[in-house]
Formats: sequence, C-alpha cells, structure tokens
Amino acid sequence: MTACLNHSKLPCFKVKPGLADSCMTRLAADREIWGSSLSRDGLRRLQKLARPDEELDPGLPIVPFKKLLLPANEPLWSWDGSGFRQPDLPPRRIVLGAALCDLQALWYLDQVFAEDPLYLRRRQRLLVVGGFCRIEETCRCQSAALPPGGDLFRVDDRFWVLSRQGETVLNELKNDLARMVDTPLPWPEHGTVPRTGCDENQFRQAGASPAWKKIAATCLSCGACSVVCPTCYCYDMVDEVAADGKVVRRRSWDNCFFADHGQVAGGGNFRPDRASRLRFRFEHKMLGFGNLRGRPSCVGCGRCLPACPTGIDLDEIADLLMAESES
Amino acid sequence: MSNRLLPIPANLEKSVPLTDSDRLFTFLCEALPPVAPGQFIEVSIPGVGGFPVSVCDLSRDARVFACIRRAGRVTSALFGLAPGAALGLRGPFGKGFDPALFKDRDVLLVAGGLGLAPLHALLAALLQSGHSQRLILLYGARNPSSLLFAEELGRMTAEGGLEVSFAVDVADDRQPRAGGIPCRLGLVTSLLDGLELQPDRTTAVVSGPPAFYRGALEKLDSLGLSPEKILATLERRMRCGIGECCHCVTGGVYLCQEGPVFSLAQLRRIEGAI
Repeated sequence: MTACLNHSKLPCFKVKPGLADSCMTRLAADREIWGSSLSRDGLRRLQKLARPDEELDPGLPIVPFKKLLLPANEPLWSWDGSGFRQPDLPPRRIVLGAALCDLQALWYLDQVFAEDPLYLRRRQRLLVVGGFCRIEETCRCQSAALPPGGDLFRVDDRFWVLSRQGETVLNELKNDLARMVDTPLPWPEHGTVPRTGCDENQFRQAGASPAWKKIAATCLSCGACSVVCPTCYCYDMVDEVAADGKVVRRRSWDNCFFADHGQVAGGGNFRPDRASRLRFRFEHKMLGFGNLRGRPSCVGCGRCLPACPTGIDLDEIADLLMAESES
Repeated sequence: MSNRLLPIPANLEKSVPLTDSDRLFTFLCEALPPVAPGQFIEVSIPGVGGFPVSVCDLSRDARVFACIRRAGRVTSALFGLAPGAALGLRGPFGKGFDPALFKDRDVLLVAGGLGLAPLHALLAALLQSGHSQRLILLYGARNPSSLLFAEELGRMTAEGGLEVSFAVDVADDRQPRAGGIPCRLGLVTSLLDGLELQPDRTTAVVSGPPAFYRGALEKLDSLGLSPEKILATLERRMRCGIGECCHCVTGGVYLCQEGPVFSLAQLRRIEGAI
C-alpha cells in the first residue's frame, strides 16, 4: 500500500489546461481536507480545511502530520467485560502541501509501523500530497537523506507519483491528465545547510564526553522537542475507565526525556539522568533504532530549535562531539 | 496481519503464593500461541494497565504460567483478582532460548531472585527434551524463604538429574537450608568458586536483577566458557513488545524483539546492555 516507487524515476503527470481545480476536488472527495494554515493565534497549524483550493501557508505546521497517523491519545482497544474490540475505522483524509522534510518523516514512520494494523488503517485512508515549502532560518532538510514518503507531490499543474496509493488515485483521474516524459524530480537540489551528523563509531567514542552532562544540565525535560518532531513516535499505553465501566486503552505519546521512560518495575532505571536521556534522543535522531539503524531519523525540519526553551540544538551537539574527537 | 496490540481474552485460573511477595499465576488462554522459555507475554488488566512478564513454565492445556512479584500498581491489582477474573494476554514476544545451544552440552544456570522464573521454564524444557548431560543450577536470593521453587528444586536434586546450590544474603539460621539444600551465605557468583566445569562443553545462562549481570557474565567468561555460549535474559521496560514504543531500546536495539535472550558475545556489541 505505502510501498515506495523507484525514486530516481518518478512518474509525472500534467493536468490538462483548466482542470487543476476539478482534479483537486475529485482527489479530496469524501475526505477530510487538512493543510497547514495560520491559526487565529498566529501559529501555523495543520488544520481541517473547508475546500481543497483554500490558501495554504507554505511554512511548516508547528505539530507535524504524524498527529493524523499517531494521534496523541489513540484508542487501541475497548473492553466491555466480554472481549477486546478494535476501534472503529478512522476517517478518510487528504493532507495538502506536505513539505519534503515531512514526507521523509512519513517514509520513516511507514517503516517503523509497517506491521502495525492500526497505523496501516490510518495510513491507507490518508492521501498525502506534498508541495513546495518555504525555507526558514531553522531549516536543515536534505533531499538525499531519506526517500520521500507520501503519495503524490504537486507543483502547480504537475503531479509526481510517490506511492502505489498515489498511482491508484491518479489513475482515476487519467482522462484529465497527460503523462510527462523524463520530467526531473521536483527537488533535485533541495537542501539547506550541510550537517555534520554522527556515525556509529563517533557516537560510541563520544560516550564519555563531558558535553552530554553539560548540555543536559540546561535541559528542562519538558519534552517539547519530541512533541514537535515528525519522527518521534514513542508511546505509552494508558487505560481509561468510563462511568459505565467500559474501558479504553489508549496509545498516548510518551517522551524519552521523561524520567520514567527507562524505568522498570521495582524502580531500576536504565536512563536515570538527563545526560543519558539526552544521549538517547540524540542517538535516535542521528542514528535511528532497530532495522533503521544507520539512517538518521532527524529530517532537518528544524521544529525542535524554536520549541526548546533553552535552545538545545542536536546539530550543535554533533559539531561539538566532532570537534572534541579531532582535538 | 494480526493486531499484536490487541489482547487475547484470558482468565486467571489461580494463583499460589511462592514467597512473601511472589505468586505463581496460572492463566487460561485458549488462543495464545505456546510461549517458549525466555519469551515474554504482556498481561493486561482492563482498566488498570499491563506489564511484561516471562513465563516460568512450559505452556500446556491452554495454560500459561508466570511468577509475578507485587511491584507496582498493576501487579497489585492482579494480586487482588479472584480466580476466574477476565483479563487479556498479548504475545508471545521476543526471542527465547535457542535449544540448539543446549543440545548435548552441560548446562549451568545462574539465577538471582525472581530471575529464576525464565530459567525454571528452560529447566522444564530441557527435562522434557530428555537432556542427558549435566544440569547445574546456582541460585541466590535475599534469604532462604525468598528462594522460588525451593522444595521442587530440592526434590529434583534428591532424585538426581539436577545439581542445585543456593546462596542467600541473610539468614536467621546459622545453617540455613531451603528445600533440604544448605544455603551458602554470600553472593550467588561465589558458588562458581570451586565448581568443576568443562568450559568447552558448557552453556551457561544468567538471569537476575540488573546489577547482577556484569559480574556474573564476566566471571563465566573468565572460567573459559565461550562468549557465544554464555547467555543472559535482560530486563527492560517493555511496553509494546513489537519494536515500536522505544522504552526498551538499548544501543539502538529493540531488546523486546531481538532479545530478551542474548549471548555475551552479542551483548558486548550492544552499548549499555550490561
């Protein structure tokens, strides 16, 4: 379903003149429409839109659209005394104007949750249409770092197909489209600043660096960085009991900066201090976990920089560790 | 694709006290696949929460067995349930003990406290498979009355087929015994001193509280056992069991999926594992 296509050669279609609006209307038919726009409070948010041609803000929404796939308090099951029931099917949705970094983050989530039926149900009912974004001072995205997830990428009257799902929906519009030949990818040079990064050996060698403790001393353990991060997906499970006795177990966002994240029964804690928790998050962002080890999960969206009340910057940590190892 | 986050309906059949704080729980669960020694399940009490636990015996007759300590909110709720109570089980999760590592080899089990539970399941599997080589268990706990399955282990020792030694931290008695077996005062690893082993034909397993591992594993290594044949089963905060929630991640590895059983050779490559 979310299988990626060969990204060096993405099919591209051009909408026939005058049909762009009607194509978008048909793509969005029977779907909730979501896109990034300015809220009344002046913050950019992913919001439900009334129409597909509503004006979008090309900046990143403060919370990425992982929230549509992994809601902050998603029901995992309910129990009424007789058995465990899966939640109802999620709504069909379309996200418009997703930035490249968020598409890369989606690719990452698609890998992590590839065998999670609840995630897949949401993903199968979510059509993600990427679009060009506005480069901000905090942007550090790199187009080559990860493949773009999502289903389609739209630039004006052209659509690139990113997934089988994208292919299927465009196929329904084929009479309004013309196939383009050898149309280069829309983001060949997209990328902002060079990043130091950190490989496995460097990370291990820096284990004893005093930098961890020094930087962690400024961390407030608030977890804001993980909330706004498009590839922070760790979760806890919490039970909720209604007045009639019905139980709902929810998958709720957790945070590796919280003190009990590595705590086991009896009180033992495998990440007992802020330095070990900072290093854990750095490790996930720079090196990835599990089968994705070696692929940074940080897509350079830059959301965590303004979100951190004390200005902790993972790229600065990487620079510092490299400088230490060279000296 | 099955939803591994959805519990399978189960019932508490019974629980019997093993020590002051630990009970042996029997869960009835028709649909749960057999849980191999070293693997773990998640016990869900609707409205309260869930926790991971390794099985302490082989699954049989739709029953799963677990030694559980009253350690927090959810286990306390479990201790308060009456027989027949409805709950849920998820699993089995993780990789258990590879039988090939024990076949035709002497087996040395080193357990501390509740860490005996998964080794008790392994012992059951080895005995069931007709294991014909030496079976040695070195087991330590706080005091003689906190040794799990002491009577059963004492009986197995008396019948032959199992060599058991106990160590305790404290004892009221000057010559403490449990299950008819004398208990040495001191650390369980002290039981390794003077133990006659053939290192090249021995597979060892260590299971105990977190602080237990480094010393025990390195001591076995110093006795000449191969690091591939020194195994440990690790405890971490395992919430999902399926490599998603990130709590158990150590050195980039989801211990819930790749473990919880690892060899010392593997553990040396996982930063922070021991």
